[in-house]
Amino acid sequence: MDFGYTPEQEALRREIQAFIAEHVTDDVLGELETAEEGGRGEHYRELVRKVAERQWIGISWPKEYGGQGGSRIEQYIVEEEFARAGVAVGGAGSGAPAILAAGTEEQKQHFIPGLINGEVIFALGFTEPQAGADLAGLQCRAVRDGDDYVINGQKMYTSAAHYATHVYLMARTDPDAPRHRGISIFLVPMDTPGITVRPLWTIQNDPPAPLGTTYGMARTNETFFEDVRVPADCLLGEENMGWYVGAMGLNLDRVGASRYLISVRRDEDIVNWVKENDFGGHSPADDPAVRDKLAELWTEAQVCRLMTMRSMSLVERGGNFTYEGSAEKVWAPEHGVHTTETITQILGPYAQLLSSSEEAIEDGIFAHNVMGAFQSGINHGSVQVMRDQMARRGLGMPRG
Amino acid sequence: MDILPSEEEQLLKNAAREFLEAEVSTALVREMELDENGYPPALWRQMADLGWLGLAIPEEYGGQGLPLTYLGLVMEELGRVLAPVPFHSTMTAALTVAESGTADQKRELLPAVCSGDMVMTWAVIERDPRLIPSAIAEQAQADGDVWVLNGVKMFVDNFNVARRCLVAVRTAPASDANEGISLFLVDPNGAGVSQTPLVTIAKDKQSRVSFDGVRVGSAELVGELHSGWPVAERMLERATAMVCCQMVGATRKDAELAIDYAKNRVAFGRPIAAFQSIQHMCADMLLFTDGAQLLTYEALWKMDRGMPAGVEVSQAKAFANEKCEAVVRQSQVIHGGIGFMMEFDLHLWLRRVSAWTMRLGTTFDHRAKIASALLDNPGKVRLGLPLPV
Repeated sequence: MDFGYTPEQEALRREIQAFIAEHVTDDVLGELETAEEGGRGEHYRELVRKVAERQWIGISWPKEYGGQGGSRIEQYIVEEEFARAGVAVGGAGSGAPAILAAGTEEQKQHFIPGLINGEVIFALGFTEPQAGADLAGLQCRAVRDGDDYVINGQKMYTSAAHYATHVYLMARTDPDAPRHRGISIFLVPMDTPGITVRPLWTIQNDPPAPLGTTYGMARTNETFFEDVRVPADCLLGEENMGWYVGAMGLNLDRVGASRYLISVRRDEDIVNWVKENDFGGHSPADDPAVRDKLAELWTEAQVCRLMTMRSMSLVERGGNFTYEGSAEKVWAPEHGVHTTETITQILGPYAQLLSSSEEAIEDGIFAHNVMGAFQSGINHGSVQVMRDQMARRGLGMPRG
Repeated sequence: MDILPSEEEQLLKNAAREFLEAEVSTALVREMELDENGYPPALWRQMADLGWLGLAIPEEYGGQGLPLTYLGLVMEELGRVLAPVPFHSTMTAALTVAESGTADQKRELLPAVCSGDMVMTWAVIERDPRLIPSAIAEQAQADGDVWVLNGVKMFVDNFNVARRCLVAVRTAPASDANEGISLFLVDPNGAGVSQTPLVTIAKDKQSRVSFDGVRVGSAELVGELHSGWPVAERMLERATAMVCCQMVGATRKDAELAIDYAKNRVAFGRPIAAFQSIQHMCADMLLFTDGAQLLTYEALWKMDRGMPAGVEVSQAKAFANEKCEAVVRQSQVIHGGIGFMMEFDLHLWLRRVSAWTMRLGTTFDHRAKIASALLDNPGKVRLGLPLPV
C-alpha cells in the first residue's frame, strides 16, 4: 500500500499551481461564466494553447500521439489542479480513452493531438429522448450507403454541441440484432450538413451559477441529425461493437479527478467559510451539532477521494474494474447531495440566495448547488444503474 | 501511489486467511464464549509459531519488525473468522512497550510476547468512558521508591489471562507542563488486584478491575512520569486502527454470508438476490465495507511513516462504527427470522461487530476530534492535504 505521491509528482503539482496562478486570469474566468460562448472565448483559447505547449493534457497518453506516456496518477494531478481552478481543460471526456483503445492508426494520429492542443472538442451524443438510463434502447440510425453512413435521429443533453468540433455519437447500425450488438460509435464533424443544435436552458440559467457549482451549466442542447452523410472512416471500432467501445470510455470517464471533485468541493467551501465568517457574532463552527455533521461529511469526502485513488491504482496495474468504478459513481454523487443539503441547514435562509442576490454567500454557490448536485447522480450512469452493476458484476447476483 | 496491497502484503493476507479458515470454526468461537479463559492455548501457540505475535515487534526482541499495515492485514483476517484470541489486547500493550518501554522492560516482555508466553492487556477507562486524560482519576501515590495504586478500571480485555497490564493512572494534577498521567506495568496476579467479569454482547472477556493499595516499583514505569498521556494516546490510536481492521474483516464476511444466503433463498418464485431491493442493499453493504477498509488502510500507512494520523484513525473509526453496524444489521434483515436464532451462526458476527463499534471511541467522540482538527486552527482546508495545525 502506498498512499503518497513521488517527489516528481509533487513537483508537477506545484508547477501546475504556479501556472494557474499566473495564467488563469479574471478574463479567462469571466469567459467561462458566459453561457452563450460556452466558455470558449479568446482568452480561454489562449490558455488552452499555453496548456497544450506544456503537454499536460494527455500527460498519460502515448508519446507517438503527442502525449507524455506518463501514468494515470500524473493525469489525475493535472485534472485535479485545473478542475479546482474552475477550468476543465482538454475536453477529452470519454473520447480519448476509447479512441486510444479502439481507434484506427489514422484516427489516433488525427484526434489525440487535436484533443491535446484544443483543436478537437467532443460533444457526447449518447442520450436520446427515449433512451437515458436504458441507453441500449437508443433509436438514432446510421445506415451504410456505399462508402458512407447516413445518420438520422435526435440526441439529448449534448452539452458541448454549440462549441464542439465533433460529436461522439452512438447510433444503431443493425436494428435486427440484439439491442447491445447493433450499436456503433461515430466521430462526426459538427460542420457536416444536416446537423442542427438547439439550446436547452437549465434551471441554473438565470442568474448564472458561479464557477465550480456542481452541474452549474446554464445551457445544454438537443441535437438533430437529418440525412447526415459521413464517410465510413468516421466509425470508431468495429461496426455493431459500439456498445462495448462506449462502455470502455465511460468506465474510465467515471474515475477521473474532476468526477469526484464535483462532489467534494462544497465540503471544503463550507468548512473554510464557517472558519472565517459568522452571523453577527454567532459562528456555526461553535455549534456542536454542526461540528459533528461537518466531521461526518469530511469523512465521507475522504472515502470519495480514496475510492478514486483505488480506481487509479487498479488502472495503473493494468487491471479491470469489476465494480469499483460503479462504486465510486454511487458514493461520490450521493455524498455531494448529502453535503449540499446539509449546508442548507447550516446556513439557513442565507442558503437560498442566488448569485445575483444581495447578501449571497460565496456568490450563491451553495444555493446553486441545491439545483445541481443531484444531477451528478443521474448523468453518466445513474446511481440506481450503478448499484445494479455493483450487485451483478461485483457480487454475482442474478438479473431479476 | 498505489493504494492496493502490495504483493508481499497480499501474500501474508492470503496465508492468514488460509490458516484461519482451517483452524477457526464457528464451533470453536462458540466454545470459547463459554470457556473460562476465552481462548485456546494451542491456537495461540500456532500463531506464535507463524510469527504473527512478533509481526510488528522489533527483530532484536524476536519479532519481524514489519510495518503496521502487515499487522493490520492479519488483524483483518482474525476479525473475519472472529478468532477468539487475546491478540488485540496483547499487541496494544506490547507495541507501546516496544515504542516507549525501558530496555529492561523490552528484554523481559517482548521475546515472551513473540513466543506466545506473554498475554498482555491495557487499562485506561474508568467511570467516564471517554478516552481523555481528564477522565482518569485513579491515583498512584509515591511511597519511597514504590507507587501505590488505588482505583477502578473498566472494560479491561482478557485481564483474567494477562500476565501484564499497562495501566494509565494519575500521578499528578494536570498542569501546563503535562496531563499528570503515568503508565505502569502491573501484574494482574499481584496483591490488591481483583477483577469482576462483565457479561458483554460479544461474550468476550472484559473485566472491571480494582486496584486496592497495589504496590508497583518505579522500574515498571513506561514513558516519563506525569507525561504518559502522549504515549497512551499513540497506544489508543494504534488500538483503534487495529479494531477497525477487525471490524472490516468481520463485516465483509458477514456481508458475504448475506449475499450467499440471498442467492439461495427462494421467495416469490425466485432467489431473493434477483430482487433489486435486495441487490441495492447489498451494493450499499459493499460500499460501506470498502469505505471503512480504505479509511483504515490510509490511517495505518500514515502511522507507519510516522505522520500524524489521529484524524485518519478517527475518520476510520467514526465511519466503521456507523457503517459496519449498518452492514451487519442489513445482513440480519436479508436473513429474516433465521438470523435471530441461536443455532444459526450469523449472530456471532452481529454481536462482535456491534460491540466493537462501542469501544475505543464512539462516533461522537471521534467526530469531535475530526471537527476540532478541521475547525479550530486558522487556515484553509483542502481534501487530501494535511489539515492546518
